Amino acid sequence: MTAVSSARLLPTDEPRCLIDSDGCAHADLGHNDDTRLPSDVVLLHLYRRMVIGRRFDAQATALTKQGRLAVYPSSHGQDACQVGTVAAMADRDWLFPTYRDSVAMISRGINPVEVLTLLRGDWHCGYDPYLHRTAPQCTPLATNTLHAVGLAHAARQAGEDTVAVAMLGDGASSEGDTHEALNIAAVWQAPVVFVVQNNGYAISVPLAKQSHAQSLAHKGIGYGMPGLLIDGNDAAIVYAAVSEGIARARRGGGPTLIEGITYRIEAHTNADDDRRYRQSSEVTAWLAKDPIERLQKYLQNKGILSDADIASVREDADIRAGRLREAMNSAPALDPAELFEHVYVEPTRNLRRQSRWLGEELAAARRP
Amino acid sequence: MPEFRLPDLGEGLVDAEILTWLVSVGDDVQVDQPVIEVETAKASVQIPVPFSGRVSALHGAPGERIAVGSPLMSVETVSANVLVGYGPADGSPRQARRSSIKKSFASYEAARTAQPDTQPAVISPVVRKLARDRGLDLRQLSASDPSGVIRRADVERADDGRPNDGSGIERIPLTGVRRLAADRFTQSRREIPEATVWVDVDATRLVQAHRDLDLSLLSLISRLCIAGLKRFTQLNSRVGSEAIELLPQVNLGFAAQTDKGLMVPVIPGADRLSTRQLAAALAERAAAARAGTLTPRDLSGGTFTVNNYGVYGVDGSAAIINYPEVAMLGIGRIFERPWVYEGSVAVRQVSQLTLVFDHRACDGAVAGGFLRYVADCVENPVMALADL
Amino acid sequence: MTAQPADVELSMAAALNRSLSDALREDARVVVYGEDVATLGGVFRVTAGLADEFGERRVFDSPLAESGIVGTAIGMAMNGLRPVVEMQFDAFSYPAFEQITSHLAKMHNRTRGRIRLPIVIRVPFGGGIGGVEHHSDSSEAYWVHTPGLRVVAPGTASDAYWLLRQAINSDDPTIFLEPKRRYWSTETLSAAPAADFDRALVRRGGSDATLIAYGAMVDTCLQAAEAAVEVGLNIEVIDLRTLSPLDDDTLVESVRKSGRAVVVHEAAGFAGFGAEIAARVTERCFHQLHAPIGRVTGLDIPYPPPMLEQHYLPSVDRILDAIERLQFDDTVVMPRA
Repeated sequence: MTAVSSARLLPTDEPRCLIDSDGCAHADLGHNDDTRLPSDVVLLHLYRRMVIGRRFDAQATALTKQGRLAVYPSSHGQDACQVGTVAAMADRDWLFPTYRDSVAMISRGINPVEVLTLLRGDWHCGYDPYLHRTAPQCTPLATNTLHAVGLAHAARQAGEDTVAVAMLGDGASSEGDTHEALNIAAVWQAPVVFVVQNNGYAISVPLAKQSHAQSLAHKGIGYGMPGLLIDGNDAAIVYAAVSEGIARARRGGGPTLIEGITYRIEAHTNADDDRRYRQSSEVTAWLAKDPIERLQKYLQNKGILSDADIASVREDADIRAGRLREAMNSAPALDPAELFEHVYVEPTRNLRRQSRWLGEELAAARRP
Repeated sequence: MPEFRLPDLGEGLVDAEILTWLVSVGDDVQVDQPVIEVETAKASVQIPVPFSGRVSALHGAPGERIAVGSPLMSVETVSANVLVGYGPADGSPRQARRSSIKKSFASYEAARTAQPDTQPAVISPVVRKLARDRGLDLRQLSASDPSGVIRRADVERADDGRPNDGSGIERIPLTGVRRLAADRFTQSRREIPEATVWVDVDATRLVQAHRDLDLSLLSLISRLCIAGLKRFTQLNSRVGSEAIELLPQVNLGFAAQTDKGLMVPVIPGADRLSTRQLAAALAERAAAARAGTLTPRDLSGGTFTVNNYGVYGVDGSAAIINYPEVAMLGIGRIFERPWVYEGSVAVRQVSQLTLVFDHRACDGAVAGGFLRYVADCVENPVMALADL
Repeated sequence: MTAQPADVELSMAAALNRSLSDALREDARVVVYGEDVATLGGVFRVTAGLADEFGERRVFDSPLAESGIVGTAIGMAMNGLRPVVEMQFDAFSYPAFEQITSHLAKMHNRTRGRIRLPIVIRVPFGGGIGGVEHHSDSSEAYWVHTPGLRVVAPGTASDAYWLLRQAINSDDPTIFLEPKRRYWSTETLSAAPAADFDRALVRRGGSDATLIAYGAMVDTCLQAAEAAVEVGLNIEVIDLRTLSPLDDDTLVESVRKSGRAVVVHEAAGFAGFGAEIAARVTERCFHQLHAPIGRVTGLDIPYPPPMLEQHYLPSVDRILDAIERLQFDDTVVMPRA
């Protein structure tokens, strides 16, 4: 690779943006001059999904405070990254989410109750990964990036044009697995798009303590893959950038590293006290860059989103949230015997013995 | 009327402090409306009510600490959206389990209080089972191995006289009294450098005295020995590592043969008893020995032993000292033998006296002197008068 | 699986090679990769010739990244492949520890059986080859302690062939531990597997005591059993073959008859796999035991430098000593350390 060609891999110095925080559209200052604004249909779709996602996020937060969920890591403020990424994917593509990407997952079409199974605590994963081509939510950060690379590589070898999208945060970008995944993906030219949601904090550790790179997107060149730095609160550029990465991968152009600059409005989870490590003024400043508000403003100004439309979308979001709340009101079906069923494809002799023993213990406890 | 209770706040937190109420009694509240702000060990959090209605009561004031599951607020509501899984878990399953454990534990407890603090050490569970199958209590078995671990051989030894595999060998277990005696003999022979002196005596006069007084021969011999020990005190002693300790009183032991084996009951302070009292004590102790009612205390503490093996029809014996004593006097059978009496051969009642002694405790002069003295007293009991 | 022609005597390394090529040939979903496995054919030549025969798509070299190797294998398996990857040496598998324990072992359970990971991780393990630091470790305790993994260790060339075929065929993830000091031992390959995948095998029948071993120690135990004949003892030797799931039935049947057992493994004794075997067999055979179950293991130290390794490794003499300490002749023997 020459110096000239490798320079193409560098991201812009400033995050690329199509719709700014005032709701104004302007030309993308990226390398690619024909990065156009997504169509109105797409933008309305993104808007609607973000409203539904935000309402879901609020409901899940409330449910956690009511003791219905063991924990809920909110993506409030990261709605554009969540929705924009998934909207750019085809059904045949694979998503590799983390524990904070619930909104992305419901946008993908997974039943919200199934999405919350892990966080409610009745099982480790509530949905069929193959049905939705979405890997189980990944808790050990960055470990999912390697799975995405492996799957994408296998798919390409099989002649499929599946693209894998791996989601990770600024904290996860420090993990060794991220480095290995980026390296292997580039060496194998695997059809993967790495979407880094840089929300400013890894629990309490700010970006400045996480990386000394000019941007996380700048890491791409180190592996020989293009890095894109974008405004993560602009759903339009997120959609456009991820689409660009997916297109590159699909035509055999290899992996792309995308960094979306965004912000985690809520604390890490309900159990975290964020006043210990950041100023509320910082949070307030980011509220002014809200991804839903800016897109709403743009759409309203363009005359394709009326007040009635807005009300209708909100109502839809409320109905869905209400349905979720009701579903979470009933106790989940729990069967302790299931603990032994899936450890291996067939339970071993030892597990069958243990299962019987547990069954006896439970039966004894039930006897008066 | 549903009660909104403090939810499980996760991460092991068990209670929270009320900071402020965000609503008042009489307010209408909506689902998920924040109604209270509480502080936990980790953070302060506003909690939304999970149902809608009119607030009828607030439970708890700012500053109060409330436990998870305690009531926060009562709400009059049309749709009672009662959430399940609140608060502490149901206690009954655990109680049922506890009572069943209690039952099986009771019999173990009863057995345990009867046992000493440590289990007998057994070489293997197979041997433990062997003992159980043969009805043997492991605590009664003695371990032959220095480690104290009961081996198969120990169990088989303890097993009562079952001939094994047709070899014709009959087994008499070495347990209890037999074992104790065996150990004592071994120790005595091992540790004491003993020597023996003996002398034939004309016991005719003693036999006459026995008839006249109607006191047992054993008691008369014993009384004479005690007189001798008063003169030859080294024979009523104990040999320590630094010194020979002359003992202040005579605790007389005498050999008694019983069904269970040889026993040596001890009469403490025999030197303070009259001959008649001594005879009574000897008789009583002998009866007790045969009845098996003697305690270990009755069999210990002796300072000198008298042994009448004449009852077996023998004359002399290279006997084994009753450890840790230093001497034992034995008397053989008394029977008619030709003897030179007052210058001519006559038929007299003759016997042999044997003194086995610990040569560390005294030399031949003392031992011989004692034996000569006792012999003189036997031949002429009046001689003892001078020393009574 | 097609049967192998009999009368073929191969080294264990060659048997593994043949096993891989037969698997690659019979199932297009099998891929083989790792560091140096393709062009070089592996540092022990176990994968020699495979890249030439099957091409780079099926057999390829990966970057030097153990976590990456296992993580990508997981992704590949999610897309329907059956990867057989290699960790170059036992201790070099540790960077992949998280991928193995948090994902490889848990994915099937996590997804209620929807995602299967039919992955084999081949690991040359154990010492006795004069290797410098990190080249002689035995890591099986970490893996057997992880529910969801199968852990296999062949002791013979024929078993190496068949157990690898069975591992590749299994839909459960398998850690396949290859006793590297036995790579050059030869044996005639049997025409069929000696036993089911998760069954132990009695290699040598006997009634006086049972030796339980796996991997390289199987041969050492057989030597010890031969030597024991001289002192009049007839020793049974059991080759576990699969460590997890453990075939306690075969072990219990043997020890209930012999009443005496010794477990032998190279790994350090403290909290080693032998402890689980001893506890489990004791629980089930307590009343038939004439003596506690002995263990002959590596010392509780990091694997030593090559010049000192003979003091660390279980030897025939140590095994015989352990056998003699099984309280034959009603002699009480106290534990030594």
